[in-house]
Amino acid sequence: MARAPAVTRAEVGRPIGTAPASSASSRPARPGRWRRSVRRQLLPFALLLPALVLVAGVLGYPIGQLVATSFQQLGLFQLISHHVVWDGLANYRQVLSSGQFGRSLLQTLLFVATCVGLTMLFGTGVALLMKRLGKVIRTAMSLAMLLAWAMPTSASSIVWSWLFETEWGVVNYMLSGLGLHFTNHNWFASSLSAYGVITAMIVWGAVPFVALTMYSAFTLVPPDLSEAAAVDGATPAVVFRRVTMPIVRPIFVLLTVLSIIWDTNVFNQVWFLTGGRAQVLNVVPLGVWQYIEAFSSQQYGLGAAVAVVTVFLLLAATGYYIRAMVRSGEVAS
Amino acid sequence: MAGTKSTRYRRATWFWRAVAAVFVVIMVFPVYWMVNSAFEPNGQITSLTPSFFPVHFTFHDFVDAVNRPWFWDDARNSLVVVCSAVALVLVVAFLAATAVTRFRLRGAKPFLVLILVVQMVPSTALVIPLYLLLDRYHLTDNYLGLILTYVSITLPFTIWALRGFVRAVPVDLEEAAMVDGASRFGAFMRILFPLVLPGLITTGVFSFITAWNDFLYVNVIMQQNYHQTLPVWLFSFSTNTGTDYGGLMAGCTIMSLPVVVFFLLVQRRIVTGMTAGAVKG
Repeated sequence: MARAPAVTRAEVGRPIGTAPASSASSRPARPGRWRRSVRRQLLPFALLLPALVLVAGVLGYPIGQLVATSFQQLGLFQLISHHVVWDGLANYRQVLSSGQFGRSLLQTLLFVATCVGLTMLFGTGVALLMKRLGKVIRTAMSLAMLLAWAMPTSASSIVWSWLFETEWGVVNYMLSGLGLHFTNHNWFASSLSAYGVITAMIVWGAVPFVALTMYSAFTLVPPDLSEAAAVDGATPAVVFRRVTMPIVRPIFVLLTVLSIIWDTNVFNQVWFLTGGRAQVLNVVPLGVWQYIEAFSSQQYGLGAAVAVVTVFLLLAATGYYIRAMVRSGEVAS
Repeated sequence: MAGTKSTRYRRATWFWRAVAAVFVVIMVFPVYWMVNSAFEPNGQITSLTPSFFPVHFTFHDFVDAVNRPWFWDDARNSLVVVCSAVALVLVVAFLAATAVTRFRLRGAKPFLVLILVVQMVPSTALVIPLYLLLDRYHLTDNYLGLILTYVSITLPFTIWALRGFVRAVPVDLEEAAMVDGASRFGAFMRILFPLVLPGLITTGVFSFITAWNDFLYVNVIMQQNYHQTLPVWLFSFSTNTGTDYGGLMAGCTIMSLPVVVFFLLVQRRIVTGMTAGAVKG
C-alpha cells in the first residue's frame, strides 16, 4: 500500500473561532477572557463526555481484567476455586518461545496483507464504478452489496462451505463443467488452499462495507472542483490523484487500518469453514490461536497473553498510520 | 473529434456496465444460494447435481421457522435492542466527532488513539470479563446491558468515520449561521448534522448490521430463551441429531429482511450525495 503522509487540511478543517476572517477585533477586552476560555473547553468536553463514559465504563474493566489475566496462571481449576495465581511473565515467555507463535505470526501477516489489499482494491474500484455509472446500476450494485453484507455470518459460512464442498459443491460442479479437472477436488486438503477459500469469503464479505463507505466519501468531493480541474486539461487519473484522493484519503486510511485490525482478529469464518479443524489443517492465524489456547485448552492466562501480544503487534503495524490520521486533524494555525 | 471521443466514452461505459453486472452476480450468488436452499426440501440441498433454482418449491421451511419457539420474542428483542443501540451510537458519535474536529480540545488525540486500541482487542477475549462486569450491576438478562455493549463496540469506528465526514464539511457554513444569530450548538445541529447525513447513514448501516448479526455477546449476556436475539435463535436449527439446513436457511433469509428494508428506507440519502448541493448554496 502507498504510504499516506499526514494531510494538512487547514482550510477545510479549521475549528470555529480560529477563522482568519472572524471578527476578533470586535470582541470585548480582558475581563471575560478567562471565563471564555473555560467555556470554550466546556462545550467540546461536554460533547465528548458521553462517548468517553461509554467506552471507559463498558470496555475499560474487561480490558483491564484481560491484561491482569495474562499475568496469571488461570486454568479451569483456578477458575472454579477462585484461586488467583500470579505468574509474572510466564505466559508471555511461553507464548513467544512456542513454535506455534512463529507459524501463526507468518500466516497472519500473509493472510491479512492479502485480505486487506484485495478488499481495499476492490472496494475503492467498486466505489469509483458506482460514481461512473448511472443511477439504476448504482442502486443495483448497492443493493447487491447490502444483501451480501446483511447475510448472517453463520449463514454465509455454511453457504460458502457448501459452495466449496468436495462431492456436490457448486464451484467444483461449474469448474468441471468448463472442462477442468475439479470433480471431487478437496479445497480443504492443504493449508494454502483452505486459506484461499477463507480469503475469498472474507473479501466478499468486507467489500460492501468498504465500497459503500468509500462511495459516500466520494460524494464529499465538490463536483465543481473536479470539473474545474478537468476543464484545465487534467486527465481523470490526475483529477483522482490530485483532487479526489486528498479529500477521501483520511477515510481510506481509516478503512485500511480497521480492515487490518478486523482481519487480524478474524475467528468466526475460519472456525466455521474449517469445521473446527483449523489446527489439524494448519490454518491458525493469531485470532484463532488465541481462542484455541483460551477455550479449547482452557488456559485462559495463555490465551489472554496471546491477545495482548496481538494488540501490540497491531499497534506496531498500524502506529504510523494512526499517527498520520490523528495528525491530519490537527489545527494548523 | 468530439464525436469519436463520445463514442469511445459510450463504449467504455458498456464495458464498465458489464464489469458491474459480473460484480453484482458474484456478490449476490451466495445470498441467492441461501434463499434457493430455503425454498428447497431438505434432501434436495445436498444432492449431487446442484439445482440453480428451486425445483420442488416449498414454503414449508418458512412456515416452520416462524412457528418455532421464541421466534417472535427473539425478533422483538432484536429490533428493540438494535434500533436503540444504533440511535444512541449515532447521537453519541456525532457529538464526539464534532468535539474532536471543531474544537482545539486537550486530550482529543489520546482519546482517538485509545478507542482505536480498544478495537484491537479480540472480542472472544473480552466477552467473559464483560459478562462479569455487567453481572455485578445486574445488567445481564437485561436490554440495557446488551444495548450498552453494542453501543460501545461500534462507537470507536463510528466516531472515527464521522470525524472524517465532519472534517470534510467547510466550517464557513456554520460560521455563517452563527453570524446570523445561531448558537454554536444550534449551528451544529441545523447546519452540520444534515450535511454529514450520508456519513451518518453509512455508519448507521454498519452499526445496525454489526449488532443485528452478533452472536458472541448476546449468547453470553442473555441467559433466558425469551431474552435472546435472532442469531441465537438460529442455533435452534442445529440439534444433537443434525442440522435442519432448509429451516436454517429460511431462518437466515427472514433475518436478513429487516436489514434490507432498513437500507431501502435510507438508500436514497446515500445515493443523492447531499453535500454537493449544499456547498453550492
